Amino acid sequence: MLRDRPFATYVLAVFVILSLNFILPRLMPGDPLLAIYGEEALLAMSPELKEELVRRFSLDRPLSAQFLAYLAALFRGDLGHSYYFNAPVSRVLLGFLPWTLLLTGLALCLCAALGVVLGIESGARRGRPQDAVLLSAALFLGGFPDFFAGTLLLLFFGVTLGVAPLAGALTPYAGKAGLSLVLDVLHHLTLPLLTLVVVRVGPFYLLTRNTMVTTLGEAFILTARAKGCPDRTVRYRHAGRHSLLPVVTAAGLQYAHLITGALFVEMVFSYPGMGTLLYRALLTRDYPLIQGILLTAALAVLTVNFLLELVYVKVDPRVVRAR
Amino acid sequence: MHVDYWAHLKQSNAGRAGLILVCLLVGVAVLAPVLSPWNPGAYTGAIFSPPGREHWLGTNDVGQDVWAQLLFGARTSLAVGCGAALLATLLSALIGGTAGLLGGLYDRFWMRAVDALLVIPPVIPAILVGAYLRPSLAVTVALLAAILWPGEARVVRAQILSLKERAPVAAARTFGAGWGHILVRHLIPELGPVLVAVFVQGVRRAVFLEAGLSFLGIGDPAVVSWGRMMQHALRFTYLDVWKWWLLPPGLALSLTLGAFALLGFALETVFHPRLRR
Repeated sequence: MLRDRPFATYVLAVFVILSLNFILPRLMPGDPLLAIYGEEALLAMSPELKEELVRRFSLDRPLSAQFLAYLAALFRGDLGHSYYFNAPVSRVLLGFLPWTLLLTGLALCLCAALGVVLGIESGARRGRPQDAVLLSAALFLGGFPDFFAGTLLLLFFGVTLGVAPLAGALTPYAGKAGLSLVLDVLHHLTLPLLTLVVVRVGPFYLLTRNTMVTTLGEAFILTARAKGCPDRTVRYRHAGRHSLLPVVTAAGLQYAHLITGALFVEMVFSYPGMGTLLYRALLTRDYPLIQGILLTAALAVLTVNFLLELVYVKVDPRVVRAR
Repeated sequence: MHVDYWAHLKQSNAGRAGLILVCLLVGVAVLAPVLSPWNPGAYTGAIFSPPGREHWLGTNDVGQDVWAQLLFGARTSLAVGCGAALLATLLSALIGGTAGLLGGLYDRFWMRAVDALLVIPPVIPAILVGAYLRPSLAVTVALLAAILWPGEARVVRAQILSLKERAPVAAARTFGAGWGHILVRHLIPELGPVLVAVFVQGVRRAVFLEAGLSFLGIGDPAVVSWGRMMQHALRFTYLDVWKWWLLPPGLALSLTLGAFALLGFALETVFHPRLRR
């Protein structure tokens, strides 16, 4: 699939996102400062502050100088100033990012583990009822939009049964510590995590199952059976391990889906991560914050993809030799 | 390879189910004004009224008929979905097709660009551009098409590369056929079914992205859409209204996505004989 992407592709992708971030406010009709900060922020601005901002963004200089100034600011970690929170965007992001990383990281691990095990078992039972049930379930759930799946879970477990919290990541002012704090976090995490896993486990499962089906027909499986390996060993040690390779490649693509899915799911559960922050920023038209969130999400996806490509080379030595 | 795709499509269960559902949805969207006595934007006089004879699915917080909104939401979804997918398919045929045909530096330039665009999750530029432009329907269509084309161009290019090497083309070439003849008589007819499959997949992704964007509140507030209905209804989960206000648009959206997924799945099996079992 997409396994031998050169490093340049990632550089180009980052460049595309950065230029989009840079050019959009400046393409808007009227004062770019207005587009960068939004009308509401500008109304409250004093002339001195305005002048300072014009200088900071180099708005009085040509476009190329503005772009360099923008890049230089990014390298210093300066993502701009959030008007709504009245704080630097980077500091606001740091408060929300850990929750999203917790959610998406756990979701990725669970999806991969569950998908691989289900895929191996299903592939080994190809054509039998269990396989058919799993296959149709995966196809059915895969078509669900993640925010609607989240809404359904929220309505069922949160509103109707009342067993899960409706919002947040912690019980506020409960003063919990140690184990009870961990349990509290998990309690709040369960539904958003479940949503992401249910909607996103499908691709992992399908991929593993399909590879299993072809792998089980190969000669080394016959050898393993002939030398008397028990069924379990053949399934996991021989065929399963071999079917793991495409999963590593797919994990990168799936992380992209998980991050963007999390943006929506968090909003449904008011989980205090990047998604909820993005929604608030969209409602208040806090443009520097919107840009910061989307840039961070994109960079996270690109980084994970790139790292997985490095892992892939380690897992599958053929890739190196093929070059 | 002259296969009757239509007959194959009708033979597969997924294809039939998808076709029926899509026809149903298109019918509902076209007949929306006939099927509901209310205007989706109009105040009907009752707020939060539960489903009844007057309002089949009740009314929302500002007294709009939910059933009417649901019907007109189908129009938005299908119009945006089909429009964006059509535009994206044309773009991808143009770029992917020419890249496959011409090859060389031109091909490498586009494929490098496509690679870079493909690693960016599509939702991110969609939200970013949407937040600035506050797009109307036409702009949404253009925006989604701009996001959808790279993946499709890759499929079209791969198909062109494979078609170029097939026996009929080689035979035509030995008879001295020019590039124009080969293009018109061999490549374009064979590419047609692939473009249909690409289009159907594109509709599904465009409908999904449109719903996602309007769920985040991006887009023209005057346009009725399922995503926007859900965004509004989600604020009132503490009342009972979600049963007739929040669930129907979500189910309608899932049904639409499912219908196009089934159709796409069936088309894929038709076009790749190896997947047929």
